[in-house]
Amino acid sequence: MPRDKIYIEEEFPSPILQLWLTFKRTPVAIWALFCYVLLVLLAIFGSFITPHSAMENNLDMLLTPPAWNADGDISYLLGTDDLGRDMLSRLIQGTSLTFGLSILVVVCALIIGVLIGSVSALTRGVKASLLTHFLDVVLSMPSLLLAIIIVAILGPGLTNVLWAIGLVLIPQFIHITRNAIKEEQQKGYVLIPILDGASELRVLVTSIYPNIIDKIIIQATLAQSAAILDIAALGFLGLGAPVALPEWGSMLANSLDLFYIAPWTSYLPGLAILIAVIVTNLVGEGLRHSLKLQKEN
Amino acid sequence: MTVKSDSPLSKMTGYLMLALLTLLSGCEPANTEDSIFTDGLVYCSEGSPTSFNPQLVTSGTTIDATTRQIYNRLLDFNRDNYQLEPSLARSWHVTNDGKKITFYLRKDVAFHQTRYFKPTRNLNADDVIFSFERILNKNNPFYRAARGNYPFFRGIKFEQLVEKVERIDDYTIRFILTRPDASFLSNLGAPFAVILSKEYADQLIAQNEPSMLSMLDYLPIGTGPFMYKEYRPNAFIRYQRHDQYWKHPVAIEKLIFNITPNNTGRLTKLLTHECDVISYPIAPQEIRSRDDLQLEEVTSFNVAFLAFNTIRPPFDNPLVRQAVSLAINREAIINAVYFDQAEIAHSLLPTASWAYNEPQTKLPYSIEQAKQLLADAGLEQGFTLDLWAIPVQRAYNPDARKMAKLIRSDLARIGINVNIITYEWSTFLRKLSDGEHQAALVGWSADHPDPDNFFTPLLSCSSARSGSNRSFWCNRNFDQLLAKALSTRNAKQRRDYYLQAQQLISEEFPLLPIAHAKRAQAKTSLVQGNILTPFGGITFADTKKLAGEKQ
Amino acid sequence: MVLFALRRLNLLLFTLLMLSVVAFSLNYFFPGSAIVNITGLVNATDAQLASYEKLYRMDQSVFFQYLAYLRELFNGNMGVSMSTQNPISEELITYLPATIELSLAALLLAMIFGVPLGFIAAIFHNKVTDKAILSVAMVGYSLPVFWLALILILVFSITLSWFPSSGQLNLLFEIEQVTGFKLIDILLSDSPYRWQAFQDALEHLVLPAITVAIAPMTIFIRLARTSMLEVLESNYIKAARAKGLSNIKIIYHHGIRNALVRIIRDMGLQFANLMTLAMIAEVIFDWQGAGSWLIDSIFQRDYTAIQGGLIALATFTFFINILADFIYASLNPVERYTRHATR
Repeated sequence: MPRDKIYIEEEFPSPILQLWLTFKRTPVAIWALFCYVLLVLLAIFGSFITPHSAMENNLDMLLTPPAWNADGDISYLLGTDDLGRDMLSRLIQGTSLTFGLSILVVVCALIIGVLIGSVSALTRGVKASLLTHFLDVVLSMPSLLLAIIIVAILGPGLTNVLWAIGLVLIPQFIHITRNAIKEEQQKGYVLIPILDGASELRVLVTSIYPNIIDKIIIQATLAQSAAILDIAALGFLGLGAPVALPEWGSMLANSLDLFYIAPWTSYLPGLAILIAVIVTNLVGEGLRHSLKLQKEN
Repeated sequence: MTVKSDSPLSKMTGYLMLALLTLLSGCEPANTEDSIFTDGLVYCSEGSPTSFNPQLVTSGTTIDATTRQIYNRLLDFNRDNYQLEPSLARSWHVTNDGKKITFYLRKDVAFHQTRYFKPTRNLNADDVIFSFERILNKNNPFYRAARGNYPFFRGIKFEQLVEKVERIDDYTIRFILTRPDASFLSNLGAPFAVILSKEYADQLIAQNEPSMLSMLDYLPIGTGPFMYKEYRPNAFIRYQRHDQYWKHPVAIEKLIFNITPNNTGRLTKLLTHECDVISYPIAPQEIRSRDDLQLEEVTSFNVAFLAFNTIRPPFDNPLVRQAVSLAINREAIINAVYFDQAEIAHSLLPTASWAYNEPQTKLPYSIEQAKQLLADAGLEQGFTLDLWAIPVQRAYNPDARKMAKLIRSDLARIGINVNIITYEWSTFLRKLSDGEHQAALVGWSADHPDPDNFFTPLLSCSSARSGSNRSFWCNRNFDQLLAKALSTRNAKQRRDYYLQAQQLISEEFPLLPIAHAKRAQAKTSLVQGNILTPFGGITFADTKKLAGEKQ
Repeated sequence: MVLFALRRLNLLLFTLLMLSVVAFSLNYFFPGSAIVNITGLVNATDAQLASYEKLYRMDQSVFFQYLAYLRELFNGNMGVSMSTQNPISEELITYLPATIELSLAALLLAMIFGVPLGFIAAIFHNKVTDKAILSVAMVGYSLPVFWLALILILVFSITLSWFPSSGQLNLLFEIEQVTGFKLIDILLSDSPYRWQAFQDALEHLVLPAITVAIAPMTIFIRLARTSMLEVLESNYIKAARAKGLSNIKIIYHHGIRNALVRIIRDMGLQFANLMTLAMIAEVIFDWQGAGSWLIDSIFQRDYTAIQGGLIALATFTFFINILADFIYASLNPVERYTRHATR
């Protein structure tokens, strides 16, 4: 029989665990997280579960409407496009392009951004001031405009779009990391390990990071919803993924010519983008909400 | 932190609200007269013209925008029987040896009067001679201004053909040819052979500024039903009615070309009546289903084909060319790419041409035969093929990339792995002329109904050198047949020669004809009169617009 | 204030310097020879190019080349467009006002609807109204702008025929371009159809402006809501309430005004965001603005135009940002010092 706890606050959950405990209590956020995980799974395993090939033409099934339509075919649940490719399969494959790549880009940008941000938080003087100026400039430009400019310089293509979006996101992470670290450094608890003789780096890793990781994760969800919209927008403008790839934005652009004869080819990719962004935003919103509740308690 | 209550901010919000209210109240329908909407017509075209002088171009978009709007030619084609009929020349006469052709000009033809040019006289022989001199005479300042770049005239070897152009009197001119050429009159009726104003050219020379010379081609003066008013690249062209048009009064006062490259954009504008007429409509079934819209179609003299580069492996082997030809399902292409607005091409010549003859054996679609032929050629294991597809929409091919995708899946069945390649349009044309392709999905729109226009530019040895022969196929027998056909004026004999030429093509497979497309145009029911012509683009001279409700 | 102004101007100079260096170095990164990329003269003869090489001091070191480039830039010489051969500065003057006009209209819409909605949400904090407004804002924020544009065209242009789907004005109206702002040009013109044209231009503006306005509007809703909540919880409001002022009076006299001041701070950033959205909307609505012009030049590999568009758009958005900062600082003196303290 376990012993009764004498001190209630003996075990103090880590900030990230606290966040999770609050997060769990909001049903909408949990639903959003569930959908988010589903999308991640689709992005990873999508190509194994598609009912048809996403790239192969099927000339017998050109422009089949979705199954709920009278002319629809149940084995092509969401209909086909003008080359007879199954819309459902293309949308699932597109998950790994639009949604999956956005996660990848955000993770890369996060790692680089946090590294630079930490270094800059520990430096002072001219270098730091130059960096502040630089960040001010970059952050005052909207991400899509910057991405368009970078793509204009690098030339169109999916890889270049990913580079562009990554480059745009890095300054945001630098900014948030730097400010968060500076804020933590003002607090008293950081002083204790320093007095114990720990190096600045050690303080950073063991004391500060656990306390700012929630902020960075929230920034990551914001960054990801922007990244999805930007990948899709550039794909739509024809600056991103090549025509054949089922990236949602370029699927939508491709289907424009069919807007009047096969509307589902246009509204389905649009819906997919919308859902992915809403889910990401809801997760981010849930996290922010929990953080606020924590602060208030 | 509080702000004083009479801060500029609160006043500003007040003004904003006021402005908004005014805006909203302004949205009620106005009752002023709508004549501006009935006198003017908006045509949504698919692209910007590259010049305002068709002598310098080959592009159909430029022809549409200029030839029949701004200019006239000496001769024209009847839209029903495709025969030549008088235009600026009221009659003409060809000598028996076919080497001297005399034109008698109309006397009542006025040039445009615009803000940049005021004509003092009507059209006369000088203008006609000048229009051809600038192409023929290398010392003409305008020849140099255009860098001697007259693609159509170079393609028909105009400079070698015409010895000189003589002035007989004020209204009579004579062409002296070096050899008889049965297609010469047709070439003068082609949309490129427009008549310019010499008086305007002299005015430009008098300004003594070399850069002004190119204005001849950018600020155009002609005799056609509309005169140039304003042009903004990628946005619009504004034309004004030519009130002294010699042929007949023109109903439309303002003609606008609204440049809309996006297919869906054009259709949307038609559905909302922002355009009265649109070029190359997509979704014909949707247009037919609406009462307020009409679809106009004309059999256009064109052909889409797959050109095999016959000087590069593997298509230097006729067996491989034949195998690929057999393996392509053209019926599926007609269905998926053209939405049945085309017919399978069994020959380069469209069925409406007088030289066309129904072939006895049509090329089948047969995977087995194709595999057999590939095996005969020693390529049973297949190969990788770079297939080039034009990046733009053309009358003969609404979507070459889609066609290429279909062909990719067809050829996959005989073990050929296809890479689809496409470049930006001008780069594409340059690389194509350099022969960098293995096979290319291209096409041809005829400039006039003469059958020679299908054979010489596409498959002759001279065109293989100049680059317009995308197959780089050069066959002496074929060239001899074409030359014989041109030197005779006996129609039956010519037809026989062309039949033999077609026979040769169907044995050698330098290219695979795919489709003859109909050219379509969609318009609102308020617009009346023919706009499409079988050759040389579109005309708004005979169009009028009924008064209707503006939406 | 002087110190604040100096610091901001310093930042502006730094930005422009960086921008011009980037733009200048692009001439060497883009394919083709640098002098052609600077001037855009793709069809020029060798003699012409040689004279331009002299103008741009191509025979000297990179630093002097850069100075020559700056000199020409300040003279308004950005070369000619590779595709149309018109001077870039002229094209920018033609196209940029259209983008600004659309963005301003959208900004107006976003503020007029966004700010009051945000206030309402704050007043009914944590009630159904608040939650409904927030969820609508969430959806609006997540909408891909190009998809929204298509849906709006489908519903309001094609099905209902209320508004035209493209362009700034029916082309049958001939309005001379003076300022480039269509609405102003129409009012300046002496066309007999002036009022008809004005109404037509307004109808053309509605759908693009809504498309562009939706996402910034949701941000204004959140901003207005947050700042109103903060204001309502601040001490002076509590004091006012203690003095017995009614809720409506508090919100009207103190809440709205102070919340608006905070919103202005973010207006600069939102305007830049609006301009980006406007670029995409321009492509779909066939709006003849700098956005569709820039995207076109990317396709056509028109390097001079890309460069000119980059300089113009970036300078403009940054200028707007600084302007918003100044307005904010003049309305809210505290800010001049707090900003100094945090940096």
